[in-house]
Amino acid sequence: MKDKSCVVVTGMGVVSSIGRDLIEFTASLYRGTSGIGFLPSALSDGVDAKIGATLQDFSLDAALLQRYAVPDSLAHATLQCANRMPLGVQAAVAASLQAWLQAGGPEWNIDRRRVGVIVGGSNISPRLPYELNEKFRQAPTYLNPRYAYQYLDTLQVGVLSEILGTRGEGFTVGGASASGNVAIIKARQAINSGDLDACVVVGAMADLSPMELQSFFNIGALAGKRFRDQPEKACRPFDTQHEGFVYGQAAGCLVLESLESAERRQVEPLAEIAGAAFLMDANHLPDPSEEGEAMAMSSALRQAGIGPERVDYLNAHGTASPLGDATEIKAIKQVFAEKAEKLWVNSTKGLTGHCLYSAGVVEAVATVVQMREGFLHPNRNLDEPIERVCRFCSTESEATQAEIAMSNSFGFGGINTSIVLSKGVR
Amino acid sequence: MTNKEEIFGLIKDKVVEVLPFLDSTLITPESSLRDFGANSIDRMEILLETMEALNAKVPMTEFGKITNIQGIVDLLYEKLHEG
Repeated sequence: MKDKSCVVVTGMGVVSSIGRDLIEFTASLYRGTSGIGFLPSALSDGVDAKIGATLQDFSLDAALLQRYAVPDSLAHATLQCANRMPLGVQAAVAASLQAWLQAGGPEWNIDRRRVGVIVGGSNISPRLPYELNEKFRQAPTYLNPRYAYQYLDTLQVGVLSEILGTRGEGFTVGGASASGNVAIIKARQAINSGDLDACVVVGAMADLSPMELQSFFNIGALAGKRFRDQPEKACRPFDTQHEGFVYGQAAGCLVLESLESAERRQVEPLAEIAGAAFLMDANHLPDPSEEGEAMAMSSALRQAGIGPERVDYLNAHGTASPLGDATEIKAIKQVFAEKAEKLWVNSTKGLTGHCLYSAGVVEAVATVVQMREGFLHPNRNLDEPIERVCRFCSTESEATQAEIAMSNSFGFGGINTSIVLSKGVR
Repeated sequence: MTNKEEIFGLIKDKVVEVLPFLDSTLITPESSLRDFGANSIDRMEILLETMEALNAKVPMTEFGKITNIQGIVDLLYEKLHEG
């Protein structure tokens, strides 16, 4: 018998360098299209970071809303509220509207006090103060008054709640590069506890300034040294020539809902969040922890009641950082032992870059897409794997029916998260 | 020196920028920002950006009793021309 309290995905949306909607994103995953190129000059002038996967020319306008088939009244309310908002907010709104429409949101006969909004990400828009700073120092009087609320991360929560009409709890959660998974985990808990029936879970676009990019460069975390002039080759998760991550811009959204609510509304679940774990490894620094990562994966499986042998596919954290990749492989070995040989592994970051706060949500969307469409996307640039312990997807798509998948997200500061997704509701 | 017509033109440009869905033909000296549905932050942004374009500094409190765009034009004109 199905457990009615289980939490399912009923809507998904994404705005990324490889797709402005789910259809385009799916096609790019299938083909292994990379969104990585040279950073625009506004981000790269004067700093050493030169490569990224950005949302070039994206704006939330009437044409985009029409493409998403947003009903007129909702489109109007959206443009009224969000048309002059910062890029990251517009991306979050675009991703959320797709998911909300797929979940049947506008017609929901549901108490809006039982629908929440959780946004994954903290320090979401450092580019905003960075760009105002010079002018502010010269003439503070003329500082745009909107800065008083636009610098707050919770801006995204308020905007989404206003546009979608949700009245349940709304907040942001920070978990560095694991923020997206943390948001999924917190939403699942809120639904499991009975506080919410459904939750709009957003992975916020990390709207970084050149200052954050330079800081990542200075700690040696960024790719783009050996392949400085070949951006499409710079991001190489699990390849012997990996040398760090590539900054990616994307926003993702999942509508999570109790199975009971989805069944009441007669909506077909897209997948179940079968298990999830969030564990610290007691370390404030950026270095990864094999023990912490293994603990997160094992705990998520235990919570799901699923043995490692049943996991078909792992969407790895796989940032292409040499230490990070090697540590994740060791943790996979620890958890899956000899079963790792049959475990398919890919890293979406090879296509989208590392989307930081939104990575967990974007990769959960990618995982569900792959399970439902029966393929696994290529591991771009994986010419020579650092180890052959698991079954890495090649540089071509694999036709594979994955029923159970895991998605890892780890963050600076000892943050380890793992979620287990099931294609069917168990 | 900037004349009143130019100040009005500047305000009108800022109103259109801040309230892009407004029919700009409705913006007349007799109309008020509130009539257009501008909230307090919209109004403040329009005033600050107009002041910046004029290189003027007028405390926000002085705009408190003004009821229409003509009043804003007059106040800014007066401030620009006093000494």
